[in-house]
Formats: sequence, C-alpha cells, structure tokens
Amino acid sequence: MIGRAPRWIPLVVGLLSIVWAVPIVGILALAFRPPQDVVLGWWQLDPLRFTLDAWVKVWNGTPLADAFWVTMQAAGISTALTMILTPMAAYAFHYLKFPLRRSLLIVIINAFVLPPQAIIIPLFLLWRDVGLLDNLWSVIIPYVGMSFAWSIFLVKNFLEDFPREMIEAARVDGCGPLSTFFYVVLPNLVTPISTVAILQFLWCWNSLLLPVIFLRTNIPLPQLLTRLSGTYESNFDQRAVAAIVTTAVPLLVFLIFQRQFTAGSLNRSGAKE
Amino acid sequence: MTQSAARVVSANVDGAESREPTGSRRKPVAGGWDRAEIVAALILLTPALVLFAVAVLYPLADTIRLSFFDVKGLAAPKYAGLGNYFKLFADPTFRNTIAVTLLFTLTTTALTVGIGWVLAVLCALAPRETLFFRFVFFTAFGISDAVAGYMWITFFRPDQAGTLNAFLNAIGLGQLQHSWLGDPATAIWAIIATATWSGVGLPLLICFASAQSISKSIIEAAHVDGARPLSIMRHIIMPLSLPGVRVALFINLLGSLRAFDVIYVLTQGGPVRSTETLGFFMFKESFAQFKLGYGAAATVVLLIAVLIISVPAIAQRTAGAK
Repeated sequence: MIGRAPRWIPLVVGLLSIVWAVPIVGILALAFRPPQDVVLGWWQLDPLRFTLDAWVKVWNGTPLADAFWVTMQAAGISTALTMILTPMAAYAFHYLKFPLRRSLLIVIINAFVLPPQAIIIPLFLLWRDVGLLDNLWSVIIPYVGMSFAWSIFLVKNFLEDFPREMIEAARVDGCGPLSTFFYVVLPNLVTPISTVAILQFLWCWNSLLLPVIFLRTNIPLPQLLTRLSGTYESNFDQRAVAAIVTTAVPLLVFLIFQRQFTAGSLNRSGAKE
Repeated sequence: MTQSAARVVSANVDGAESREPTGSRRKPVAGGWDRAEIVAALILLTPALVLFAVAVLYPLADTIRLSFFDVKGLAAPKYAGLGNYFKLFADPTFRNTIAVTLLFTLTTTALTVGIGWVLAVLCALAPRETLFFRFVFFTAFGISDAVAGYMWITFFRPDQAGTLNAFLNAIGLGQLQHSWLGDPATAIWAIIATATWSGVGLPLLICFASAQSISKSIIEAAHVDGARPLSIMRHIIMPLSLPGVRVALFINLLGSLRAFDVIYVLTQGGPVRSTETLGFFMFKESFAQFKLGYGAAATVVLLIAVLIISVPAIAQRTAGAK
C-alpha cells in the first residue's frame, strides 16, 4: 500500500515466528515419532520414522473418547443456551421499558471483569449441598451465567445500529413486543449471535479451572491432559497426542472464524482463558 | 477482517452512540409503564437473570461474606471478623504470592502487548509478505493455555530431550543448562515465557486491525509527500494504533490476574509455592487445604486488584449503558 516495504521487516517477523513455531513442531514430532527415536530430543532426525503407536495407546489406555464427548456436550450445551438466551435479554434491555432496566443492565455488563475465581468457592458449596458435584450441569450453569456479562453487551451494541424505523413499522402494523422480537429483530441478529457462539464455544472448550473443581469422573479434555501430565512415567508421546486432540477443534474454530473472534473479543475482554 | 473489528474498537473506545428506548404508543399504566412491555421483558429476561443470579451474583456476594468466616471442610462456618485478612498479611506465602502476582501480571502484559504491538506495526507495513508469519502467531494464540503449558513443559525439560537445554548446549553455553521448572528463581520466568508465547496473538490481532483501519488516503498522502516507510510507521501507524494498544493492555491485565491454567499445568504453584499468583493461591488454599474462608479472603484481594485496573472500563460501560 505504500510502495515497497523494507526487506528486513518480513525477515525480523519471520525470525521471531520461528520461536513461536518451535513448540508446535515439537509436539507434532513427539506425537508421530517412536519414543526411542526422540530420547535425545524430537529434533534428532536420524532415524526419521513415523508411527501411530502413541495414538493407539492413548485411544486404548485413556478415556480420550469419553473426554471428547464430555467436552462436546459441555461446550455445545453452554453455547446453545447462550445463543438462545442472549438475544432475548439484549432485545429486552434495548427496546423495552421496565422497572430497574438500567440498573440491571449496568450490573450485568460490568460483571465481565470478574475472574472465575470470584464465584467458585460458593458454587462449590452450593453444588455439594444440592448434589450437583461431578455433574456436567455444575460447569454448564456457570459457563452460561457468566457469558451474559459480555454476550448481552455485544448483542446490544449491535442493536445500536439496528434501524429503529423497522421496529416502529412493526409496531404500527400491530406487532406486540414479543412478535417484534421473533419476526423482526431475531432474523437480523445472525452476525452477533454467531460471534457470541464462537467466543462461548472456545471459552467453554478450553476451560480448566471450573472442571478441575467441580468434576471428578466425567472430565473434559483439558483436565484429562493435566491428569496424563501429572503421572511420573515418561509418556511424552501420549501426552503429545492428548494435547493435539484437546486443542484441534478450538484451534480450527479460531483460525476459521478469526474475523468474528476479533470483533467479539474486543467487546468481551479477557478473551482467552 | 478490519472493518467490523474497527467498528467495535471505536465503539469500545469512544463509547457507543445510543438512542432513547422506544416510546410507547399504547395506553400507559400507572407510573408510565406499558404493561405489555413489562410482561414481555419478564418473559424474555427471566431465564438469563435467574442463571446470572445463580452463577454470578449469589456466588460473588457469598465469596465476600465467607471471607469474614472461618470455614474448614464440612464444619459449620464460624464468624471471624477480619481474622482471615490479618492472617493473610502475616502469611509469608501470601506476601510472596502478592510479589509473584505483580511480577507475573506486569511482565507478561508488558511483553505480550509490547511484542504484539511491534509485530502489528511491522506487519502493517508489509501485510502480504508477513501473512504466513502472522498465521504462526495466531495458531499459538488459538492453542489453549493448558495445552500451551504442556507444550512448554517439553521445552523446559531438564533432561537431554529438553529443547532449551539442548539449544544452549549446541551454541556452546552448556554451562547454563538448568532445571528451569525446578528452581524457584527460574520457574516463574518459564511461566511468564509460556504466557507470553500463548498471548501475543491477541494484541497482534487487535493492533493489526486498528493499524489496517487507518484510512488508506492518509498513508498514500504521506507517501506522495515523500515519507519513507519507516517514518510512516513512526508518525502515522504507531500513534494511530494506540487505541488498540489500550484495549490490548486492559484485556491482558485482566487475563493475567485470573491466570490459572498455565501455572496449574507447568508447576502446580511449586517448587515450594514459589510460583503462585493470587488466582492460584486462592485455589490452593480453598481446594487443596480446604480453608474456604481463607481462600475467599484471598479472592477478595484479587477482586480489589481487578476492580482497580477496571475503573476506566467500568466507568465507560456505565456511562454508555442507555
């Protein structure tokens, strides 16, 4: 855009990106090469052989498939609930008049600064008393509840640009507040809802703190990975496989939907956890 | 990528314009409210409000309440006044935790945003040539903290297969080989390095977007007037991408204060509790020692730190909430 950029720019950026690439290449090498070939380091290329042994061992020896399914359920249900409930709330806050509207809104949209640490002790006691520990809903409820702090703000921001004439027209044509939402506003909210869905899915999939405290037997992938790494046997090949499986889905989602992610994370803050 | 992001950046930085809620044409009930609207709002809001109250409001209030109680395991809580707080500040582990939290939060944020911003400015000058390299940084960012932590364990391994030690050996600095995660002096820096590696993609993404959103005509005008790429970088791209830097700084400060995953995976807070930040200390006290009141008090300290850095953001959101 400004003539030719100096040659050293791509060179500097490229050199730095090598530092960022090394651990990624390392984990791929560990996962696909026989352990005896990498005793002196994954970068030793003699002999260069590839194997899927570690994948078979992890598949047979650890509850990887179960953890994958648990993660899918937790992230999937949380994302679906947030996708459904957020636009309803954002619409009510933006277009409807009701008592305490502004106070409630201020409390909710400012809660995005809260770290998950702020809620886990009482939730642990509560889940213990109602018998929800080790139940998937013990993580889904806080995933969804905490998401409103940023998701409602994000969708409401989008509604600022929504043409008010359409709302007025619907009203004149006899639409009540609910049918205006379902027939006029909701069909036009695909963009912000998909942004919310992507952020929520990534956050729930990668989350570690809540499952570590609330779940014991049916655990999601990041927690399974930490359990594998916690053993003292040298199972670096199997850990590498578990790491790749843990991160493959969210990484792909992130790389494919980068644009939505950028737009959304600026709104929600504390984007990655 | 830039258009939508830039819109949100400006909305976030300048405070979004907004209009009055729609006036009602129907007959108002007492107090100026429209009953149909209140009923609709109740129907639409109740599920979200209930979940928010159960998952955020109640636990937040109860964390603060519990911080004044002595709660151990299953026994009934005993009121302790400020006892937990006095104990905290007399506890050498906690004082070390405060120091570690400051070191980790400030260093990680400075490194992450600094590197990300410089990269973004450089990439903005040569967007096509650096496309693949940006992809590498974004991939690192797309990998979750827990997995990044695991990847860096293999990097810091003390044996021959540890990447860092082997590298030092190869360039003739073999005497610097070290058990990086086993030594309190280096373990925290290993965690900072990991968090920086995993975080740089976000400031890069944000600052690159805000650099790309600079109007092409400004840059072309400077170019026509004879400005060299480097002075365009120094005098146009760097100052005009500062709003992005501000957002990135805030996001990273918040993120570092709540850090848990990286520490849990890399060191579990060790060796001898030397790498615990506030966010990890409260976990250890509450769920390893089961001193829930004590952990709650540490959480309140964490909350105060979070609130201090969030004052501008909260003021802005509150003023913008129409």
